[in-house]
Amino acid sequence: MEKSFLTGIKKLFKSWAFVLLLILLLEVVVFATKNPKFLMPRVLFGSINDIISICIISLFVTFVMITGGIDIQAGSIVGLSSIVVGVSWQDAGLNIWIAVALAVLVAALCGALSGFFVAYCDVQPMVVTLGGSFLYTGIALLVSNLSATESYKGINGFPEAFTQISKYKFFDFLPSQVVIFIILAIIAYILLHKTKYGRKIFLVGVNRNAAEYSGINTRLITMSTYVLSAISASIAGIILTAYLGTAKSDLGTTFTLPIITAVVLGGTLSTGGKGSVVGTALAAVVIGVLKFGLPLCFDVSQQYLDIPVGLLLLVVVIGRSVFSNPKVTAKLHGRKK
Amino acid sequence: MQHIKKILKARAMGSLLFLILLFFIVGLVNPSFWQPTSILNCFNDSVVFTLLAVGIAFVILTGEIDVSIGAILGMSAAVGATILRDGGNYAVAVAAALLVGAVIGLVNGLGVSVLKIPSLIFTLGVNGIVRGMIYVYTGGAWVENLPADYTRAANIMLVGNLTWFYAATIVIVLAATYITTKTRHGKYFTAVGDNISGATLVGIPVVPTKVAAYVLCGVFAAAAGMVYTSRIGFITPTAGLNYEMKAIAACVLGGIALTGGQGSLVGAAIGAIIMSSISRILVFLGFSSDYDNTITGIMLIVIVVVTTVAQNRAVIKNRHEILSARTNGSKNNRTKTIEKGEAR
Repeated sequence: MEKSFLTGIKKLFKSWAFVLLLILLLEVVVFATKNPKFLMPRVLFGSINDIISICIISLFVTFVMITGGIDIQAGSIVGLSSIVVGVSWQDAGLNIWIAVALAVLVAALCGALSGFFVAYCDVQPMVVTLGGSFLYTGIALLVSNLSATESYKGINGFPEAFTQISKYKFFDFLPSQVVIFIILAIIAYILLHKTKYGRKIFLVGVNRNAAEYSGINTRLITMSTYVLSAISASIAGIILTAYLGTAKSDLGTTFTLPIITAVVLGGTLSTGGKGSVVGTALAAVVIGVLKFGLPLCFDVSQQYLDIPVGLLLLVVVIGRSVFSNPKVTAKLHGRKK
Repeated sequence: MQHIKKILKARAMGSLLFLILLFFIVGLVNPSFWQPTSILNCFNDSVVFTLLAVGIAFVILTGEIDVSIGAILGMSAAVGATILRDGGNYAVAVAAALLVGAVIGLVNGLGVSVLKIPSLIFTLGVNGIVRGMIYVYTGGAWVENLPADYTRAANIMLVGNLTWFYAATIVIVLAATYITTKTRHGKYFTAVGDNISGATLVGIPVVPTKVAAYVLCGVFAAAAGMVYTSRIGFITPTAGLNYEMKAIAACVLGGIALTGGQGSLVGAAIGAIIMSSISRILVFLGFSSDYDNTITGIMLIVIVVVTTVAQNRAVIKNRHEILSARTNGSKNNRTKTIEKGEAR
C-alpha cells in the first residue's frame, strides 16, 4: 500500500502536469512579489474574459488532437454562435434561451459536418477544418447580413438574464465564467479519463486500425470529437457574447493559434494517442496568468504578449524534445551514478 | 507526345482546368469579364498570394507546414518599409527584407529538422514571437509616408495591363518549378516529402533539404511582403495576419497534398489565382463579396473531399482486383492484373 503510494507520488513528480503546476506557481510567486495587487481576487478575476474562451475550447480540442486530428475551425464557430444568438433573438424574435440552444445546435451541426468529412471520407483533418474555418466565418458574415443592424456595430441590448451568464459572481468574488470553466473541465476529465468513450478516443489515436479491428466504431468516435469541440466553441461564443453584451460575427477569429498552443503546452501529442484534460487546463491557465501578469507587474504592453507566449511554447517543446531524447537521458543517468 | 501526356496527367492540370472553367462560367454570366483587362487584373491581384503559396509549397512538399509566413510577411515588410521611409536605397530595403525572411526561415528549418519539433507547433511559436516583434519594432505604429516611386511600382505595366510584378512572378514560378522537377537537388524536396526513410536510405540529405525549404519559404514570404508594401503603400502591425491560412488553402486548391510529396509549384500559383480571384468574380456575378469566405470554404472542402474519395476508391478497387486475381485466376491473369494495377 505504502509502496504504491510512493510510486504514485513519483509518477506525479515525473508527470507533465506537475511541471506545469511548477511553472504556474513560479509565475504566481514572481508576479505577486513584484506587485501584491496581483493576488486580489477582484483584479485576478477581472481580466479573466480574455482567456476564458481559449481555456474552454482547448479542453475539447484536446479530444480531437488525441485522436490524431486537429481542429482549426473552433475560432470561427465562436463568431458563428455569437451572431446566431444575436440574430435569432433580435431579428427572429426568439426567446433568448431558445436562441442559445439554437446556437449550440448550429455549432454541433458544423462540427458534425467537418467530423463527417474527416472520419467517413478520410480527408486530412487540417484541410477539412481549414475549409471549415473559411466556411463558418463566411456563414457567420452572411447571417449577420440578415440582421437589420449593421454588422460592424454588432447586436446589443440583450436581456439581463442573458448577460448574467458572464456577470454573475458566486460569493461575491468568483465569476460565473470560472465556475463554468471548472464544471466543463470536470466533465471533460470524466469523459476522457473515466469512461469507456475516453478509452476509445485514446485507442483511436494510438492505432486506428487496431481499434477498428477490436470492434470500436472509430469513425463515429472521431466524428464525435469534432462535434464536442464545436459545442465547446459555441459555449465560449455565448459566454463571450454575454460578457461583451454584443453579438458579432468576427469574434474569435484570432483564437485558433492560442487554442493549439494551450493544447500542445498541455502535453498533448500532435500525432495523437497521448494527452490529458488536466494538462490542457493547467496550460491554458498558465498562458492566461502570463498574459495577465506581465502587463500588470512588469508593464509589458498588451501588444507584445505574443512574444512570451510563443517563447514559452518553444522553450517547453524544445526542452521536452531534448529530455526525451534517449542519448540525453542516458548521459544524465550516467552522471548520477 | 509523352511530355504532353505527362503534363495532362499532372495534379496541377485539374486546378488549371478548374480555373479556366471558372473564368468561362463567369464570362457566360457577365461577358464584360471576358476582357483581357479584367482577367489580367485577377492575375495582378494574386501576386502576394502567389509568392506566399509557392514559398510554402516548398515546405509542404517536404511534408511539413509553416504557419508563420503571415508574420514573416509582416516583419519583413515592416523592416523594408522603414528603410524606404527613411530614404534608404530600394535595393538595400528589399535585400534587408529578404534577409529577415531568410533568417526566420532558417530558425524554422533548424527547429523542425534538427530539434525535430513537430512543424505545426514550432512555426506556431515562431509566429507568435515574430508577430510580437513587429509591434516592438514599429512601436505599434503604422509605417507610412513611403516614397511614391516605390508605391507606384506595383502599377507599372509591362505589356498592356500586365504588371511587371506579375510577369516577374511568372518567371520566378516557372524557374522554381523547373528546378524542383528537373534538377537533381530540386527533386530532393518531393523525395523527402514522399518517403522520408526512403530518402534517407538513398543518401538524400534530409535535414539540409528541409532547412532549405524553410529558408526559401521565408524568402518568398519576404518578397511577398515587399510586393504587399508596394501595393498597399503603408504597413500596419497586423499586416499579413491569417495570410498563412489562405496560402495553405491556395496550395490545396492547386493540388498539393498536405501529407507531402505530391503536387507542383505551378499548382500552388494556380491555386493562389483561384483564391484571390474569388472576391472579384463574385462582384462580376452580381453577388456581394461577403460571400468570399463561404465560397472559398465550400470550394476547398468539395475539391479535397472529391479527390480524396476518388483516390481511396481507386486504391480499394485495385486491391480487390489483385486479390480476386490471386484467388481464382491463373498465373498469367494475375500478373496482368497486377501490371494493370501498377499502371494506375
